Amino acid sequence: MVTTLSSSSRPEVGVREEAADRPASGDNAKATDRPVFSGGTAILEPALSAEPLDMIGMLARAHHPGAGAVVLFSGEVRDNNKGRPVAWLEYEAYEPLAEKMIAGILVTAREKWALQIAVARHRLGKVAVGETAVVVITASAHRAAAYAANQYIIDRIKQETPIWKCEHYTDGEREWVNHCNG
Amino acid sequence: MTKTMKIHVYAGLKDYFQPEFEVESVVRNTDELKAVLLTINGKADSILSFCRFAVEEGFIDNEYNLYGHDTIVIIPPGSGG
Repeated sequence: MVTTLSSSSRPEVGVREEAADRPASGDNAKATDRPVFSGGTAILEPALSAEPLDMIGMLARAHHPGAGAVVLFSGEVRDNNKGRPVAWLEYEAYEPLAEKMIAGILVTAREKWALQIAVARHRLGKVAVGETAVVVITASAHRAAAYAANQYIIDRIKQETPIWKCEHYTDGEREWVNHCNG
Repeated sequence: MTKTMKIHVYAGLKDYFQPEFEVESVVRNTDELKAVLLTINGKADSILSFCRFAVEEGFIDNEYNLYGHDTIVIIPPGSGG
C-alpha cells in the first residue's frame, strides 16, 4: 500500500485515548512523539516487512522527472562479524513506533535535501546470509544531495529506531547486538 | 481493585524477562519501574541502564507519570540495518 501525504492531509497516527485515571489535561509530555509533517508531499510506504525486500521493484519505482540522481543503499547480511561465522540474522522491532519514526526520518530528509523520492524498507524475522536486510533509496536533482540524504537516513534508522538484530552463529550460539556498528 | 501495568520487552531484554508480563501499578515513574524490574531479575541492571521507555507509541522520560493500566514498552539500544 502506498499512501500519499501532504501537509494538508497529515496522518493522525498514534492519537492517544486518555486512560480513565489519567489527567485529561495532558500533563505528561513525552520526550519524543509522533513525527512532524510539514510542507511538501511525501510518498510513504510501510517500512517494515516480514517478506524478502523487492529491491529491484523498489528501484524500478524510484524515478522522477525532477531527479537526476538516484542512490540505492542495500544493507546485506554478512557471513561473519568480529571474527565469528554468522549463520543468519533475526530482526525484531517495536513495529508501531519504528514505522512512525522511519516515516518521520524520511520526511525530514526530504525537506532537508529537497528530495524527490525517499524510501526505506527494513526486514523483520529471519534473514539469511546474502539477503537484503534494509534498503534506502533517495532521488534528487543532483547526486550530492541523494548521497548525503541516503547516508543520513540509514544512519538514523540504525541509531534511533527500535529495531534489533540477533546474530545466530554457526556454532549454535546467538547474541543480540546492542550497538550501532553494523 | 488492584490495577496492573502491562510490560512489553524486546530483543536482549527477553533474556532477562518474559516478553510480556504485568506489575502492580504502585510505580509512578520509570525509575521506580526499573527498581521493580530489578527485584524480578537483578542481572538486568546493566542493560536496563541503557534502555528507553515508551507508552502509547511515544518515548517517555522519568518525568512522565505512569498510571494504572498503562502498557509500557521497554526499549533496549537498537541496531537495525
